Amino acid sequence: MKFYIDDLPVLFPYPRIYPEQYQYMCDLKHSLDAGGAALLEMPSGTGKTISLLSLIISYQSHYPEHRKLIYCSRTMSEIDKALAELKRLMQYRTSQLGYEEPFLGLGLSSRKNLCLHPSVRREKNGNVVDARCRSMTAGFVKEQKQAGMDVQLCDFHENLEDLEPHSLVPNGVWTLDDITDYGTKHVRCPYFTVRRMLPFCNVIIYSYHYLLDPKIAERVSKELSKDCIVVFDEAHNIDNVCIESLSIDLTDSSLRKATRGVQALEQKVNEVKQSDAKKLQDEYQKLVSGLQGANTASDEEQFMSNPVLPEDLLQEAVPGNIRRAEHFVAFLKRFVEYLKTRMKVLHVIAETPTSFLQHVKDLTFIDAKPLRFCAERLNSLVRALQIAAVDDFQSLQQVATFATLVSTYERGFVLILEPFETENATVPNPILHFSCLDAAIAIKPVFDRFRSVIITSGTLSPLDMYPKMLQFNSVIQESYGMSLARNCFLPMVITRGGDQVSISSKFEARNDPSVVRNYGNILIEYSKIVPDGLVAFFPSYLYLESIVSSWQSMGILDEVWKYKLILVETPDPHETTLALETYRAACSNGRGAVLLSVARGKVSEGVDFDHHYGRAVIMFGIPYQYTESRILKARLEFLRDTYQIREADFLTFDAMRHAAQCLGRVLRGKDDHGIMVLADKRYGRSDKRTKLPKWIQQYITEGATNLSTDMSIALSKKFLRSMAQPFTTADQEGISWWSFEDLQSHQKKSLKMKTAETEKHDEEMDIDMT
Amino acid sequence: MSKADKNYDSDKSESEDEQQNGRVSNKGRKSDDNEGYTWEGEYQRSWDIVQEDAEGSLIGVIAGLINAGKRKRLLRDTTPLRRGIIRHMVLVLDLSSAMEERDFHHKRFELQIKYAVEFVMEYFEQNPISQLSIIGVKDGIAQRISDLHGNPQSHIQKLKSLRECNGSFSLQNALEMARASLSHIASHGTREVLIIFGSIFSSDPGDIFRTVDALVSDQIRVQIVGLAAEVAICREICDRTNSSSTNAYGVVLSEQHFRELLMESTIPPATNSSKTADSSLVMMGFPSKVIEQLPSLCTCHSLPSRGGFHCPRCRAKVCTLPIECPSCKLVLILSTHLARSYHHLFPLKNWIDLPWSAKPTSSHCFACQVPFPKASEASDQDQAASSMRFECPSCKLHFCIDCDIFAHEQLHECFGCQCSDN
Repeated sequence: MKFYIDDLPVLFPYPRIYPEQYQYMCDLKHSLDAGGAALLEMPSGTGKTISLLSLIISYQSHYPEHRKLIYCSRTMSEIDKALAELKRLMQYRTSQLGYEEPFLGLGLSSRKNLCLHPSVRREKNGNVVDARCRSMTAGFVKEQKQAGMDVQLCDFHENLEDLEPHSLVPNGVWTLDDITDYGTKHVRCPYFTVRRMLPFCNVIIYSYHYLLDPKIAERVSKELSKDCIVVFDEAHNIDNVCIESLSIDLTDSSLRKATRGVQALEQKVNEVKQSDAKKLQDEYQKLVSGLQGANTASDEEQFMSNPVLPEDLLQEAVPGNIRRAEHFVAFLKRFVEYLKTRMKVLHVIAETPTSFLQHVKDLTFIDAKPLRFCAERLNSLVRALQIAAVDDFQSLQQVATFATLVSTYERGFVLILEPFETENATVPNPILHFSCLDAAIAIKPVFDRFRSVIITSGTLSPLDMYPKMLQFNSVIQESYGMSLARNCFLPMVITRGGDQVSISSKFEARNDPSVVRNYGNILIEYSKIVPDGLVAFFPSYLYLESIVSSWQSMGILDEVWKYKLILVETPDPHETTLALETYRAACSNGRGAVLLSVARGKVSEGVDFDHHYGRAVIMFGIPYQYTESRILKARLEFLRDTYQIREADFLTFDAMRHAAQCLGRVLRGKDDHGIMVLADKRYGRSDKRTKLPKWIQQYITEGATNLSTDMSIALSKKFLRSMAQPFTTADQEGISWWSFEDLQSHQKKSLKMKTAETEKHDEEMDIDMT
Repeated sequence: MSKADKNYDSDKSESEDEQQNGRVSNKGRKSDDNEGYTWEGEYQRSWDIVQEDAEGSLIGVIAGLINAGKRKRLLRDTTPLRRGIIRHMVLVLDLSSAMEERDFHHKRFELQIKYAVEFVMEYFEQNPISQLSIIGVKDGIAQRISDLHGNPQSHIQKLKSLRECNGSFSLQNALEMARASLSHIASHGTREVLIIFGSIFSSDPGDIFRTVDALVSDQIRVQIVGLAAEVAICREICDRTNSSSTNAYGVVLSEQHFRELLMESTIPPATNSSKTADSSLVMMGFPSKVIEQLPSLCTCHSLPSRGGFHCPRCRAKVCTLPIECPSCKLVLILSTHLARSYHHLFPLKNWIDLPWSAKPTSSHCFACQVPFPKASEASDQDQAASSMRFECPSCKLHFCIDCDIFAHEQLHECFGCQCSDN
């Protein structure tokens, strides 16, 4: 289908379009024209990705700037899905235009997923893969080889060197599978192929981290130009990604490893000093001339990069007291020992970076300034020493990153030392959390640098929270409803059980036997009436465990067991994967299954329960964060003081976005159907409900906001029966699915309305004038 | 249209939808009121449905309601198709504990038996030379209730003797047993399974997908009537075993709808022309009725009787038709039986509902001579509304609604076409 939005011809690869897709494209276009940030919420399963891609690709090819698209998504599977969509779109464009456009679309993933080297790819740990890869691909390894030393090189990487740097792969869209196949065939490294082709391609699809995490972004995304279009898809958790990328946890064992790392480093320095003192001298000279000068080596082989954001990077020379290798090693040693003594404290400490630095200075006479250069200095030293097996130094690297961050940022961070894991533990297992509180720090450079930033997801409500938290001004903030030919999902709020006792996961009430029993009854009743898959979400693993054990003793699980298999999500990813497989099998063969999972777990975020994999989702309680957590408390305080976001507002916002995320799992398209149950008294209040996305809110009827279990069961039964009636795509046409004619008539209508409005406006103006 | 009329219309469309259009249309359907406990369902405000007309009289409105009910007759697809009229069907009953549920006005179990009996009668009425077998699934085990034969009375007796339901349902066991009893059927007969599925899950001993593969290769069609909700595996089974028709899987909305869905399966299925293109001859005997002086034993029940039918091949006496001769296995049948299945092959065309604007050619119904309503009664705006006259597309004669229903449901012949010379 080809249509016009203003003057822009859009090629959409399907013969029909959803009304909300059209709306979305219009808003997207306007925000691209205007530049700046846009915040768009569109229901899951309504073809967000394809509308986004088809509009932006049309935009690229129509306007002479050819703005590059950087599309960031969350997981591997989402990246793959987006690439597949892009591929289909480009095929359609070729068939419509009659010629192939010069176009390159690439997806980037970690070395672990892309590596082809026969022994390296077998490693399970991503860090080990990275380290082993570097040890075979770094520039100095090659020099060593040329010098006749016995080192191993990666053939896949070496073969790239012979090619022209800008035509490593032919034009086209390359999914991750495609590029690895291509690599296998031509014996070329897919990872480096993509990395080196990034500046030349039209669309890049990769993970958030390549843009947000300063440690990686500096290396991967440096060369992207200013008028790139940046899209964050599934961005409802973007603030957490920002925060995590700047937070570090140090434990006893990691410090011990760091000590070992320092010792190894010292040994190496001594070795080199005896054999090749010139090398260290060279490095010293470089450091005198300034950090940036030392940075000339190709950056993709760097051991680590500076965690600090570009504009904070100092342009001056490294302070004298850590310039010499042996001095720096001693400096590191001292710092690690200092951290170790700090960890011995048996009470909780929370302090700001400033007070921490003061304390460091008092005890060890280490200044803030050399600390700031710690990461860069370590990097330069490792490079100079030509240490290849860098995985030994991981913990040391962590400490250095920590040192740099703590001395660079005064605000927006907190240090929390927790000597005990749990409240009742008596054996200390101290953790030093260095936690970022301000999500805006990590994302700020992205907003500053790129002209258009689009943040989009199925669940972004309430929309005004994101601009506040991430400190940006959005050009367009929009939440789209969902047009449906039939009400294909049924959101309900259950506030009381069959015995009229109100139910809630409130901390005081959650272990009350009557609440537990009523929650159990909801599960029993729903497992009786819902066919195939049923997913239940709990606020936390802790609560899940406690409620399951009390259900066991109450005989509730036995009752559920009669109707469905029961599977439980655990923090262990392997067990969970197994549980998910069993769950899917049981849903497909008619046995039916219940999956008990956790609102912030893996299942709630990445796994889709489309069609029969999820006919109903029950949200037991409100998934509030664990409010006793000191990190959360510090963050709340920070948000209140800095951005004037009240604690309660933020907590509710966070809980509701996770609840919405869980609910959204069950509905993945307009031909899907599912029941959404919110089982907590507090959902009945409008302040909670209004924080749900518009498309869910729109379908919560007033009558379904305060139900008891039996009433909701009656409604659900009716719903399930009516949903099972034959429903063809023909029924949707014109209402929730537009053909080209429908679209044109809509465009005409809206144009008419607009002109009428402007006329009216003009008239008003006239009146004002007179 | 006046405001009152509009109200009337919108109310009516709601209540009618659920009753009549069962599964024909889906647009704008609200879910139905006849389910759940009566106190759980929504209020049915009958006084909202009935609105007085301009003169304050209810007569016109009530007549309209009655006619609307009559028009309920499904407008069937009348293209002549090749259908298999020698049918072999296994009816699978759900006797699991899910049938204890009382979400209709009766227990699901009672309703199932009641409609199954009606189904058996209707099935043999429509398909006299077909056979049926009944299987019940209880405690996850399929039990044969009656063997594959063509005697409705014995099926009904067996059905009525069923009492209890227990345990869970097993699709695989039921399908395997059905497959075993259908696999030997000759290619001119259809192989069908009709499952009443009251549970929402199935506990199977093995891989059901293998059973489905076997069903597909054996060309057995499976139709399922679900009582609660759409189950993915049922949808898959139906989609894979029915190559063309899409409505093999239905879920009931109400008691009425349950019955409709069951009765839909009494119409012989269209044969898949590509696969069974070879026409085969079937040997049949057409015995004539005999009345004997002295009672003799019949071969079917071994009871002495004086009346009966003699098999033309082996002279064995049977007391009812149609039947397979117990001694020589010849299919014994009356010509009227064949004729009864005939209308499925050449269905009577749907008659056209004429609007007021169509020119009247007669003032009375051609068949029953009832006068048609006068055109002058209708206002100008209602030109497109139905004038309660129905025209046969071939003989162009006009009939009233009652005759229309009678001709299509019972006679399967048009009065006008039969009277005309050619």
